[in-house]
Amino acid sequence: MLNAATIISTILIVAAVLLATRYIYKEKKKGTKCIGCPCAGECHTMHGSSDIKMREKSF
Amino acid sequence: MRIAFAGNPNSGKTTMYNALTGRSEKVGNWGGVTVGSKEFKIKDEYTGGRDVSAVDLPGAYSMSPFTPEEGITSEYVRTTNPDVIVNIVDATNLSRSLFFTTQLLELGIPVVVALNKSDINEKEGTSIDVDKLSAKLGCNVFETTSTEGKGLSDVISKAISLSGSSQKPPFVQADIDLKDKAAVDAEDRKRYVFVNEIVAAVESRRTLSSETRGTDKLDAVLTNPISGILLFAAVMWFVFWTSQTWLGPMVADLIVGWIEQFQEWTAGLLENSPPILSALLADGIVGGVGAVVGFLPLVMVMYFLIALLEDCGYMARVSAVMDPIFKRVGLSGKSLIPVVIGTGCGIPAIMACRTIRDERERRATSMLATFIPCGAKIPVIALFAGAFFSGAGWVSTLSYFFGLLLIFLGALLIKYITGYRYRKSFFIIELPKWKVPSQKFAFNSMLERAKEYIIKAATIILICNTAVQVMQSFDWHFNVVEEGAESSSILATIASPFAILLIPLGFGVWQLAAAAITGFIAKENVVGTLAVVYGLTAFIDVEELELTGGANNVAMAMGLTSVTALAYLFFNLYTPPCFAAIGAMNSEMKSRAWLWGAIGLQLGTGYSVAFLIYQFGTLFTEGHLGRAFIPGLIAVGCMAVAVIVIGRKTRAHFDDMYELHRRDGKENAAA
Repeated sequence: MLNAATIISTILIVAAVLLATRYIYKEKKKGTKCIGCPCAGECHTMHGSSDIKMREKSF
Repeated sequence: MRIAFAGNPNSGKTTMYNALTGRSEKVGNWGGVTVGSKEFKIKDEYTGGRDVSAVDLPGAYSMSPFTPEEGITSEYVRTTNPDVIVNIVDATNLSRSLFFTTQLLELGIPVVVALNKSDINEKEGTSIDVDKLSAKLGCNVFETTSTEGKGLSDVISKAISLSGSSQKPPFVQADIDLKDKAAVDAEDRKRYVFVNEIVAAVESRRTLSSETRGTDKLDAVLTNPISGILLFAAVMWFVFWTSQTWLGPMVADLIVGWIEQFQEWTAGLLENSPPILSALLADGIVGGVGAVVGFLPLVMVMYFLIALLEDCGYMARVSAVMDPIFKRVGLSGKSLIPVVIGTGCGIPAIMACRTIRDERERRATSMLATFIPCGAKIPVIALFAGAFFSGAGWVSTLSYFFGLLLIFLGALLIKYITGYRYRKSFFIIELPKWKVPSQKFAFNSMLERAKEYIIKAATIILICNTAVQVMQSFDWHFNVVEEGAESSSILATIASPFAILLIPLGFGVWQLAAAAITGFIAKENVVGTLAVVYGLTAFIDVEELELTGGANNVAMAMGLTSVTALAYLFFNLYTPPCFAAIGAMNSEMKSRAWLWGAIGLQLGTGYSVAFLIYQFGTLFTEGHLGRAFIPGLIAVGCMAVAVIVIGRKTRAHFDDMYELHRRDGKENAAA
């Protein structure tokens, strides 16, 4: 059972899961609200909290 | 150095910002798309390597804020003190735009005016004397076309050279009491006179705005309450039919074939390896992720068509036609903007609710906007439409308009619970000029969204499918589950209690319950999990659909009737959205009570809709009610009682408040 295909596929599965987890962790750290959502580009560059503060001050 | 981009709504600020920074922020051919400020470094090719940031601000008509987003812009330019302001002026509507320009010029910050959309002026035979305008305003003016990047270098290099200088205003507001409405109005009228004099001197038009043109007649039809809604229904049907019945599946069929071949190849390579490895790699990762990716062409075609609709100016007409209906049910006319944006993704839709001034309307809209099926739900709709309804385009159209109906009904329910009384609210939307939609813009928008879709499939969906496959392959003692004993798996034992709750809805099996639960992480997971638990990949097979007319392998594997399939689909569409969207609701609502109310309303709606479809659908198609009608009725009844109790409690609270006011009044009178 311990053949080349088994070893390679095990490495592939572990690598795929680790890389995906790493990506998600990095994105969350950057403040991305939703990974892979069409809004992903705009969410984390939006100065949400400061905008809300401004709005609260203005109204 | 920081350059602020300010101007009227829909003058092209975000398009210019995207061109200068290389970002891909959401743009649309109507006002109110940008709801917050965004900042990013301008590309070196425009700045010569200097560190210059562009700040994109929401559109504003004046420095005196009327809407929340105008407040953000006004506050930003007043308090943050940017080095230079680039005022983007819609060259097709100079007289309206210059009011704000003259106010910006009074701030003392150097201003560069970008006369945007100059290409449209050329086509319409409108010309503006740029030098004369520059002399009258006392600032630099450049003609630009941000969609083509024309004139942007001139604007940025001039802005950089002006950093640190001051600005002389051409019109100075008199020193008046800003709390005196009459004085402010008089001063505004003076400013309009000043602006109109400038426009008369610098602009020459071939077509006067007072003349009725062909596009005005078209607008009259499209904004008519009856023909407008009928045409909107027809347009949306065409979008869904093209993306999910015709063009989308044609491309998807090819991709699914390749994925299936790859899966078979992978499984063949692992023939002599432990079965769990083959299950994980071939079924879980390749099969599960492949099942989601297979729907990518459908989603891409839909995004492309929606982008064309947004760009040509049609969506603003839809907003105008839906406004009276939204007001009638206690929402704002502006609520339509989040609904339109929600077709792409629920999160920007919820964020777009910021433009709604009234807090109750804002919260109600963010609570209801996700009833519109977003892009992530398209694979789920397409899967069920393909497997159970011969790929019929009406399933998507029905899902969309049923979502709209639920928004109206939900709004009425919120109106009842909160004891809201009819209030006349304002909705001002400027109908943008019709234009031939940019295919480049639509194509880029589609590619951007496709990229995000693939990222999601390769990260969140991959991890979820791997976890689902592991949980399905092992029992709680980590022994591999034997064939025929699948119900002892970790996944089955976790999902089974939830499955019991779903019996009155017609799909009380652990596989479907598990798929619905993973859907809360990302809605595409419903498809991925179904692929894993039923061992299916080829959800799209155009030839098979043509041959079997619906009764295909997928439908047989799931063992659902058309009625239960529709109930399951609607359950997934109208129960709460993914966790990320719930998080966005939490930040926008800023109230735990409203957030839990939203989750409760969405759960109750999804459950009740699925219950009614299954029970009455079974009654009509088979002549008897479905399984567990009485328990389901009790559950739905309990939800109705909860709504009544909460409504009464809220209104009693209001009565207490009024009582207090009255007492104050009496005390005041006595005093």
